[in-house]
Amino acid sequence: MMMRGMIMTTESQTFTEKYDLLGCIQCGRCTGGCPVTVRADLNVRQFVNDAYDEEKLDELARLAEIWDCTACHTCAVRCPKGLKPLEVLIGLRSMIVESGKVEPTVRDALQSVLLEGNPWENPRAARQDWMEGLDVRIAEPGEHVENLFFVCCTNCYDPRVQVTAKNMVKILNKAGVDYAFLPEDESCCGSEVFTIGEEGLFEMTVEDNTEFLNEFSADRLVTLSPHCFTTYRTHFPDLKFPVIHYTQLMDELIQEGKLAWKGELPKRIVYHDPCYLGKQGGIYDEPRRVLKSIPGVELLEFDRKRERSLCCEGGGGKMWVESESRKERLADTRIKNAKELEADIVAAACPFCVLTLEDAMKGLGYEEEMRVAEIMELLGEFVEA
Amino acid sequence: MKTVVCIKYVPDTSEAEVKVNPDGKTVDDSRFSFDINDADNYAVEESVLIKEDKGGEVDVLSIGPKQSEVMIRMAMAKGCDRATRVEDDRIAEHDPLLVAKVLAGALKEKEFDLVFTGCWGDDFNHMSTGVALAEYLGVNHASMVKKVEVLDGKVRAHRELEGGLMEVVELELPAVLTIQTGINEPRYAPIRGIRQAQKKELNVVSLDDLGVDPAEVSVDASQVVLENLYIPEVESAAEFIEGEPEEKAEKLASILTKGGLV
Repeated sequence: MMMRGMIMTTESQTFTEKYDLLGCIQCGRCTGGCPVTVRADLNVRQFVNDAYDEEKLDELARLAEIWDCTACHTCAVRCPKGLKPLEVLIGLRSMIVESGKVEPTVRDALQSVLLEGNPWENPRAARQDWMEGLDVRIAEPGEHVENLFFVCCTNCYDPRVQVTAKNMVKILNKAGVDYAFLPEDESCCGSEVFTIGEEGLFEMTVEDNTEFLNEFSADRLVTLSPHCFTTYRTHFPDLKFPVIHYTQLMDELIQEGKLAWKGELPKRIVYHDPCYLGKQGGIYDEPRRVLKSIPGVELLEFDRKRERSLCCEGGGGKMWVESESRKERLADTRIKNAKELEADIVAAACPFCVLTLEDAMKGLGYEEEMRVAEIMELLGEFVEA
Repeated sequence: MKTVVCIKYVPDTSEAEVKVNPDGKTVDDSRFSFDINDADNYAVEESVLIKEDKGGEVDVLSIGPKQSEVMIRMAMAKGCDRATRVEDDRIAEHDPLLVAKVLAGALKEKEFDLVFTGCWGDDFNHMSTGVALAEYLGVNHASMVKKVEVLDGKVRAHRELEGGLMEVVELELPAVLTIQTGINEPRYAPIRGIRQAQKKELNVVSLDDLGVDPAEVSVDASQVVLENLYIPEVESAAEFIEGEPEEKAEKLASILTKGGLV
């Protein structure tokens, strides 16, 4: 487990050089677009400005609002200079992580990634329990498959979203797709490790996962979570195969006529663009095409859609950090918007979005008239398998 | 201030499904995750906080397998200075008195002011090792400690009693304290710290190295015999006794008498 030591070194690079702080023209588009400013005191432009003074870094790192960022990347998408202002906040977080004085929930999640390969404090031995009763093909090193599946820790362990993986297996088997899932040694992609700022653990994750994944032979790696999708595409330069999100594969299978529909879903569905799939992955059309293919579906659109999509606040380590703000959660806003559209179903293609939006939907008391669903959940119900 | 912190690598059984093996005397641990015993984690933090406040050094002492070294390195990443890991399959690890005897053997040549252990182990829940260790070492002890104040040649320990009561005792050093969870907030051990801790001294020793007679700490020497392990049956029947305290006591006494329980 040797550290590569060049990706994140503050030893050889100053904070200013590492995050290209002098490239910033202080236009403020980052803060202007930041979705959490409506409920938190976070002003990312100010941080980019202040972080230039290295003597101030310790003070900045102690400000609670650095933990309000959801790493949705709106600031990066809007920056006219191509900078990633959010990474300044991640850099400050990493200073706290290195001191060890993080929230206990964050501590436990990070330690769980190191010891068990997932942030949910579940044993590695239980990683494939979701497969019970299913006929799942498991990849063997060196044996070629077209589609190699990476499940994601949340889909593996969280009983609410395990359905994503389960339905995928049933549909793949029926459609005769050449696929295999990774064996039990599959470990967390490190998406949340990166955004929490555990630089050392993330470097180790990149090294270990690259080595592990490259033992397999595949045309492409198919991820079930947009977080794994973006993390593998962005931070794993030595991965030997391309990475796609499952909605791209489902879109392909539908175009090729490989999925047979059963029944109709005469419902009004609004699709919520996950930040890690849309803003960070540029995947906007495939999930919409998949939803529209389900017989009977009427697809609606949020006002804030595609690259303007409102973040659910599930990313950026926020599953383990509670905001101090008592103002309305963005997931609540999102569900209220869906209600205004008279949507029956809010569909998402991300485990974090499903969990946060469903919590909001239940909290608002809309359970009777509205449903939050993973796209795979709907496909499981309306595709022959 | 020289502190020794004793830690143990235990299975996390809080969420896991526990299955007894067909031999009836062991548990299937193949699906457990292992980590530092919870109370020991607080003991590590307390030892490091004292070092940061008063100076000095902290030694880690543990009996456990090679796999437990990740836990030891984490403790060293947090600030502990060196470690001793005892590995010897002749030790009757189910007997806290014999475990304490091995720990005492490892400490007999060491100078120390304080020894910390967790107040109980998440594996067997004996709550005995720390106290027995103090006895073998012939030093003072306080158990269930929720606050530590280091004084001149003494330590003031706040002991957690039932019903929210605290007992405050002062002990001459050296002393053994068994640390209760919640005394502090254990820090995170970042990977870079763990890697740097690879450079710190970690000695792996056997009973022979410690000069402890295996016959004295083996299963044959143990007065604790593990007869059988079983999962308690889940009983769904529960009766809530209502009324004033006197009425409740009368009803309860009647139930116990009728049931032949007293």
